[in-house]
Amino acid sequence: MKFKDYYEALGVERGATQDEIKQAYRKQARKYHPDVSKLPDAEAHFKEINEANEVLRDPEKRAAYDQMGSNYRAGQEFQPPPGWDAGFEFRGRGDDVGGDADFDPSDFFEALFGRHARQAGGRARTSRQAGGEDHHAKVLIDLEDAYRGGTRSIALRVPTIDAQGHVTLEERRLDVNIPKGIRAGQHLRLAGQGGPGLGGGPAGDLFLEIEFNPHPRFRVDGRDVYLDLPLAPWEAALGATVDVPTPDGALQLTVPAQSSAGRKLRLKGKGIPGQPPGDLYAVLTIALPPADTPSARDAYAAMAKAFDGFNPRR
Amino acid sequence: MKQSIDSVIGGPVVEEEIHLTLVELCRVCKVPEDEVRRWVGEGALEPIGEAPEHWRFAGASLRRTRVATRLARDFELNPPGVALALDLLDEIEALRAHLRRLAGGGTR
Repeated sequence: MKFKDYYEALGVERGATQDEIKQAYRKQARKYHPDVSKLPDAEAHFKEINEANEVLRDPEKRAAYDQMGSNYRAGQEFQPPPGWDAGFEFRGRGDDVGGDADFDPSDFFEALFGRHARQAGGRARTSRQAGGEDHHAKVLIDLEDAYRGGTRSIALRVPTIDAQGHVTLEERRLDVNIPKGIRAGQHLRLAGQGGPGLGGGPAGDLFLEIEFNPHPRFRVDGRDVYLDLPLAPWEAALGATVDVPTPDGALQLTVPAQSSAGRKLRLKGKGIPGQPPGDLYAVLTIALPPADTPSARDAYAAMAKAFDGFNPRR
Repeated sequence: MKQSIDSVIGGPVVEEEIHLTLVELCRVCKVPEDEVRRWVGEGALEPIGEAPEHWRFAGASLRRTRVATRLARDFELNPPGVALALDLLDEIEALRAHLRRLAGGGTR
């Protein structure tokens, strides 16, 4: 296990006041909060600062961390010395952490502060019947899956409690039916696939948020799909019938004569299926053939002659 | 039918097929009812129905409420702040969608 420098994560000095820690956390959170940020590593980064904040904002956890950690550097191999936490009771925010379904601590955090805190959130030792918690997860599918529907195998990491009361993360595989026409940002509700109920109560539901894998060719906007369609100059000028790839196979598209770059040609109803289906837009681009042979250069020269007076900058 | 078919799980698309009551929405998003009432009061969520016990939230409220819950918690936002943040996020998303429609490659 690697040592984590929580001060470094938040960018504060070891002697920082609680106010400075709060300010540093907020500043980083505004930058990396997954709901606000589109930076590619936002989610992982936010997890780090959230965990650092979880420890440093709590005076008792911070004191314990300080006592143990002042000789370690970030990334250094680390094992908590036996009895390191004697004299500390991590009660402060423990219950809050338990109720916070999004908090996903690292092994390092768990080695220090345990995972038991997560279980303390209100449900423990109830003899009443209670429904299980609803769980949430994201699942990445291909755009093609939304066009055709189908089955996707997904892996979830689920905390489970063994006979000794230890919490471990277990991988659970589910084969999920992806309905045709589903769009990014929508949720599937899988009844009874969430947390187990207590005392014979019903299990919670699992809500799967759908996201599309980035596609090298297609861009998605709601139910509409966009792609860049390169044309040769003469195809754009004279018109042509060309093959257009769609997530559901190639189609033929008639490009009208005198088309210019940036023109959008709509293939009605060829977006993501549904009631109503989305549209597919081919955004025209014009590709110039290379002038790398004498005859190609001659052709360009002939064009220049034929279009004497044409100035694209005017 | 092959046996493996039985183990394939399916369910409704929340945004298309489901309306949630206040109680359901709060349970799914793990947020107190009072908080959601205040967000409705700010116009950040717009359920159908007059009294809270008759409210029906469209499926799209699920995502909105989850975002609101996280923003309120992580930034200690009050309900007007949550409403403002959600409106600004909507606006940013609309601008991003506009950018996506323009040529330029990439999927985001």
